[in-house]
Amino acid sequence: MPVTFTFGEMLSARSVIGSTLAELGDEYPNLWVLTPDIGATLVEFRDKFPERFVDVGLAEQACVGISAGLAYDGNIPVVSGMLPFLSMRALEQVRTDVCYPNLPVKIIGTHGGLVGNGGSTHYAVEDLALMCALTNMTVTSVGDPLMVGEVIRQSMTMQGPIYIRLAVGKKDRVLYEPGRHEVRIGKGIIAREGTDATIFTHGTTVAQALDAAEALAEEGHSVRVVDMFTLKPIDEELIAQSAAETAGRFVVLEDHLSYGGLATRIADVVADRGIRLTSFERLGIPQVYAGLGEDEQLRDKHGYGLSATIAAVRRAVAAVR
Amino acid sequence: MGRKSLSVTDDRSSVAELEELAFELRQKLLELCGTYEGAVHIGGDLSAADIFTALFHYGLNVDPTDIANPERDRFVLSKGHAAVCMYIAMAMRGFFSYEGIVATYGQLDSAYGMHPCKVQLPGVEASTGSLGHGLPLAVGMALSARHRGEDHRVFTLLGDGETGEGSVWEAVMAARSNRLGNLVAFVDRNRQLMTSFGEERVVFEPYPDKWRAFGWNVVHIDGHDMTQLVAALDALPEPDSDTPTVIIAETVKGKGVDFMERNLAWHAGSLGAADLERALTALNASREKESV
Repeated sequence: MPVTFTFGEMLSARSVIGSTLAELGDEYPNLWVLTPDIGATLVEFRDKFPERFVDVGLAEQACVGISAGLAYDGNIPVVSGMLPFLSMRALEQVRTDVCYPNLPVKIIGTHGGLVGNGGSTHYAVEDLALMCALTNMTVTSVGDPLMVGEVIRQSMTMQGPIYIRLAVGKKDRVLYEPGRHEVRIGKGIIAREGTDATIFTHGTTVAQALDAAEALAEEGHSVRVVDMFTLKPIDEELIAQSAAETAGRFVVLEDHLSYGGLATRIADVVADRGIRLTSFERLGIPQVYAGLGEDEQLRDKHGYGLSATIAAVRRAVAAVR
Repeated sequence: MGRKSLSVTDDRSSVAELEELAFELRQKLLELCGTYEGAVHIGGDLSAADIFTALFHYGLNVDPTDIANPERDRFVLSKGHAAVCMYIAMAMRGFFSYEGIVATYGQLDSAYGMHPCKVQLPGVEASTGSLGHGLPLAVGMALSARHRGEDHRVFTLLGDGETGEGSVWEAVMAARSNRLGNLVAFVDRNRQLMTSFGEERVVFEPYPDKWRAFGWNVVHIDGHDMTQLVAALDALPEPDSDTPTVIIAETVKGKGVDFMERNLAWHAGSLGAADLERALTALNASREKESV
């Protein structure tokens, strides 16, 4: 059944995964769903297509390898699980079994960033750096729960592999009025227009960036927020355009190591294209094992929470070329 | 097997013919090893030569002229370092040109490399080389066949050393859990790793019991005895049955060349002209010895 929610509501991105896959299972008779014992969100697909649902138990490596075997035989496998394990325990299978032969395996999972209060074993904080390093891999990180469905849908017709990163996915703010923004893998979304500075972000921190921009508007600052939900291939044009249109002031905010993720992707484009910036600041997870705490507490503790974001933008708008 | 043969020219070879083909495969392998300047994984190629021969000239229902036929049996080389032995076995079956392999092996842009690449060489079923990856791939292919109601089998060949990889046992469990009677794993049980002999640093035994404990159908044979190899292939359970089969083939690393047999120095190597002559002489002598 189609999910209809409106702007501003809270919605479970996981439920969107489940309902989207269950829908797509009809459209794509070669769609399979595999999981290493993280099947709660997949019940709808499992019950509808039990013969195309494989729960291997706690075996991430085999799960990804088996998905590659299915893909070799013309199927579209979706591997769903917790990203700290899929991105690291099964990294070599992702790289060698999936990316090397460029198979259409879709990896979608939760726990990207310091989310879920599970401690450092259960936070995927390096995953985007790892995935962006892989040839043939498309890398996304999605915050808006309705967008999750759209990205999954678009991924079905992609020839190669894709990585789709979510936070906890239990309670996510609907960020966009449905239909207002075009969602296209490879293109960033201008979530809020502005002219004084741009906050580039992805995933769970898009909502925080929008809140920061709202607060800064009250101070008279016009802040653009770009939801760069595709990290690879990166939307170079939007980076160049934002440099030109927001006075070359960039803040990059992400729930990932501050080096190796989106900030690094953008810095690469800036360097490679010789884009002149006025300021560039990255807000993200420092190279520490983060400890316990609720999502917001950890973002504050590690210097990339809401107030830190606002402060960074204030510094940016004060900068002159 | 009641299944239709995909290749019209395929009169399945007799044991004597298979033995001759295996000899020729070893000969060609040594010749390539003599022409190619880099190292070839000759030890594990020679241990698997009889298995490759039994598969490509007897067990596998494949058609070299129609490599994408959906009804074909699949073969995934999990011990990817034995790629050159597979290429030559496949060339002898009509998939590739042996001369083409010899002329380009390991060269820039060649389709024939140290480890098989599906992108460069579409005739192979999967890109492998990193150990512990082939069985999960084969499980995926077997699941796919099962779901489509196809009655082909999926075969894979692992090295026994490779089965130290945890991912192998994950896939062993998955195959059993999904009741994949259409899956057949060969283990080239040559009892050598790259730098040690079996049991010396890694204890594998009781090896067949390990597979039995995981619920597989275990067939334990002499992997250099063509009669046993053929019998094992003839006795495979039907593809629509519930239990995956492992054929543990006891082999000798470097088999057929006395100075390479059970010699850690010949995990990989290259042969100069004099060595090639010596190796071919040894191979001939080994055949004469076995025929008496």
